[in-house]
Amino acid sequence: MNFDPNLIRNFSIIAHIDHGKSTLADRMMELTDTVAKRDMEEQLLDSMDIERERGITIKASAVRMFYHHTDGKTYMFNLIDTPGHVDFNYEVSRALAACEGAVLVVDATQGIEAQTLANVYLAVDNGLEVLPVVNKVDLPSAEPERVKKEIEDVIGIPAEDAPCISAKTGENVSEVLSRIVDTVPAPTGDPDAPLKALIFDCLYDNYKGALSYVRVFDGTVKTGTRIRMMASGSEFDVTEVGVFAPTWKPVDSLTAGEVGYIAASIKSVAETKVGDTITEASRPAKEALPGYKQANSMVFCGVYPADGAHYDDLKEALDKLKLNDASLSYEHETSAALGYGFRCGFLGLLHMEIITERLEREFDLDLVTTAPSVVYHVYTLDGQKIVIDNPSNLPNAAEIDYMEEPIVKATIMTPSEYVGTIMELCQNNRGVFVDMQYIEADRVNLHYVLPLNEIIYDFFDSLKSRSRGYASFDYELSGYAKSELVRLDFLLNGEMCDALTTIVHKDRAYAKGRAVAEKLKDVIPRQQFEIPIQAAIGSKIIARETVKAVRKDVLAKCYGGDITRKKKLLEKQKEGKKRMRQVGSVAVPSDAFMSVLRING
Amino acid sequence: MIGVYVHIPYCLRKCRYCDFCSVPIDETAGRYRSALIKEIALVKDKYPGERVKSVFFGGGTPTALPAEDLCAILDAIRDAFPLEPDAEISIECNPKAIGHEGLKRLFEAGFNRLSIGLQATQNELLRRIGRVHTFEEFFATYQAAREAGFTNINIDLMHGLPGQTQDDYLDTIRTVAALGPTHISAYSLILEEGTPLYDDVIAGRETLPDPDAVADMEDAGMDLLEELGYLRYEVSNFAKPGFACRHNLIYWHNEPYLGLGVAAHSSMVEDGFWVRFSNESNIPAYLKKLEKGKLPRAERILVNTFEQMFESVMLGLRLVEGIDRAAFSARFGCDVIETYLEAYQKNDRFGFWDHSDPAYLRLNRLGMDHLDSILRDFRERRLIDFLR
Repeated sequence: MNFDPNLIRNFSIIAHIDHGKSTLADRMMELTDTVAKRDMEEQLLDSMDIERERGITIKASAVRMFYHHTDGKTYMFNLIDTPGHVDFNYEVSRALAACEGAVLVVDATQGIEAQTLANVYLAVDNGLEVLPVVNKVDLPSAEPERVKKEIEDVIGIPAEDAPCISAKTGENVSEVLSRIVDTVPAPTGDPDAPLKALIFDCLYDNYKGALSYVRVFDGTVKTGTRIRMMASGSEFDVTEVGVFAPTWKPVDSLTAGEVGYIAASIKSVAETKVGDTITEASRPAKEALPGYKQANSMVFCGVYPADGAHYDDLKEALDKLKLNDASLSYEHETSAALGYGFRCGFLGLLHMEIITERLEREFDLDLVTTAPSVVYHVYTLDGQKIVIDNPSNLPNAAEIDYMEEPIVKATIMTPSEYVGTIMELCQNNRGVFVDMQYIEADRVNLHYVLPLNEIIYDFFDSLKSRSRGYASFDYELSGYAKSELVRLDFLLNGEMCDALTTIVHKDRAYAKGRAVAEKLKDVIPRQQFEIPIQAAIGSKIIARETVKAVRKDVLAKCYGGDITRKKKLLEKQKEGKKRMRQVGSVAVPSDAFMSVLRING
Repeated sequence: MIGVYVHIPYCLRKCRYCDFCSVPIDETAGRYRSALIKEIALVKDKYPGERVKSVFFGGGTPTALPAEDLCAILDAIRDAFPLEPDAEISIECNPKAIGHEGLKRLFEAGFNRLSIGLQATQNELLRRIGRVHTFEEFFATYQAAREAGFTNINIDLMHGLPGQTQDDYLDTIRTVAALGPTHISAYSLILEEGTPLYDDVIAGRETLPDPDAVADMEDAGMDLLEELGYLRYEVSNFAKPGFACRHNLIYWHNEPYLGLGVAAHSSMVEDGFWVRFSNESNIPAYLKKLEKGKLPRAERILVNTFEQMFESVMLGLRLVEGIDRAAFSARFGCDVIETYLEAYQKNDRFGFWDHSDPAYLRLNRLGMDHLDSILRDFRERRLIDFLR
């Protein structure tokens, strides 16, 4: 027998990093006896090491709770967690689409941040009821009344009686639970209609295969149901359905209004695409739920094993990660400087960092990564359009008619005292000012249009340092725009190093060329000969630095007692050389390729 | 024909940069002399009739022991092995660690080459590196050595010392050369881990001149030495014509030598095999073994032909003369350039070889500056490829 849909509440929590989302979720699980306190790992929802260290959620996740309300009834709460980073905007939108309501958590000492705002808008767009909650009222610097007013002014929802809580101490958290019952609508849907289940997340399990995390909108699904993925058309037989209690717990069926998982011996998460609709093969729904999009890689970089012998290990590791991450793409590429490796595509810079970090940590690989690149559209004189994700594949300037680069709409929220320095930063990064709104007397919301290329390097870090950490940032892709771009090459001792090639705006090429050449001069060790480092656009040299030759590389003393020691020393030095990449005649340390991107040219 | 090295591990006080096996002179010194003489008796039986062309007493500061002990040890060697009539018999000494009488006794006992550690003529620099003597004390020792009869004298110098300028170094060379020794060793300071100087530099209490400045110093010093008639014949060694140190040439020619005393290393032919071995490296262990009547050996390795070849290259390229290709072929049955063709060619592109005499594989001055990187290239040659 299925649960009365009128007693179900499906909701998610929206919050800025560190505003207390995971802590609140933990308290809710404790209060509803979903998990015993002693079983709680700190912050149960963020379960990956990297997630915990960075304090962000990468994958969505869900948990079912039973709440005994003061009206005497027991409600089923399905809390669907959302990823907390702009790279995963689409995943956030699908997780929100699975809910009827959202709890908006705002830090009483900070106020609304850009990221929160973007997600609240997503929630409102998806027709969710928003329940504002002011958190961290136990802190001395808390200003709950100011924050409530800000919520009303900026988001335009009433916040006068928003619960003021401390997720840390548990103060008033029970009020949030009871307000969820009142604020979030019960799901509607027809349990007898053709099946419509939204995939809001997926996960690969070694035993069950790829699992779809779903919200059922219409119909019922149970073991043995033959299902069809509406976007891909693939069909599978369901082997298990279950709920998050909070770990996987098989149930007989999932029906309209419920949240759970579906296992169907699916080999890869490529078949369980987030946003897709699952229906019955024998009685398909007329149309899929709206909003499905193919995930597109926005940022690309070359990933190479530091030791060429580990190419196969890297491939195996990428294959494994791909099982669980449909948004990761990669294909083999060869670099003259770095040998065999892969060009990998990511949703954004954070996604890239997470993947490379997981490759190094979980698979114990030593990697060389090249500077990230966006995807450029190149229109040649003979009327072709070429899509370039690796700068060294850019055709000759003489063959190019024009180029386009991806552009984003950026929202920056900041205390007004930093507006000047932030506008300068945006200007330096080719930003075009759109508008500025005062949220309060001393806080503003800035809108800029920026080339994606300019924000994938260290824009976010610069923003944080210029605003002493107070500014927050969010962006969405807004298409492509024509741009005067050039290919910037680097030559070491006269030989081009393809792994260092980048595409930059022509006005920035000189500064960038100089900065990178200077950086290379610092990271390339002195060798037996002088090494000219040149930055070039086509055949034109725009910057030059020189690594001086080693003056003395000879041991002053070598007598009878030193021979064995001397041989050992030579062996050790040779080992050190192995960590270097040979670019023509020049040995370059593996990390030089990445260090180059830490430059805001 | 071999060389014999005798290690005397005592000093009046250890210098701040020194990582050699040496300790301040203590009560073990008497037992040490007996142990050495016992070791000589043991090796005499192991290598009967081995002819000796050079003897070298090094340390430490050999003259930290009484001259009579040193003479007794030399006599023991003479009794054990036939010494060539023109054998070079060297002893290292430090100013302050020997007087006029002692020097005289050494000369009379047959020591015919003296090596004096000076390092620099500026007393402030000597103090900073922990030398126990002043320049004036060195000068007195040098005069006493001449008076005692020594004509073949080496003086050790260093560059790259804390606080040292190029002028300091060149002044040192001029002052020393004016005394007319036959040989000058000029070493670049090596900062060795575990020494007080190393700790001071790491902790920022002491600073060394910048490496480019040291290289300038070294180059200027080399020019000056040659100008003053001291010809470079090895990376750090300069001599008047005919006065290269014959004992040290044994090492650089990769010829056999027998090391006696604590921590001494040897390369000898035993049962037709080339072996390298070392003695116990601490004094109590060394004494204990000998007092039980056993050879004080610690490690012993067989050196195969391939490794011997590399060692011959590693040592031979230190010499300005380079490697005698005919001698190399006679010893190993292959030509040195053909054997290491890849490394040879790579470094030829850098212009590191001196092509003036095709009978030798010889580095030019620039190549000598890059010796270690050249050796790393030679080291790339693998035994397995060589055997093919």
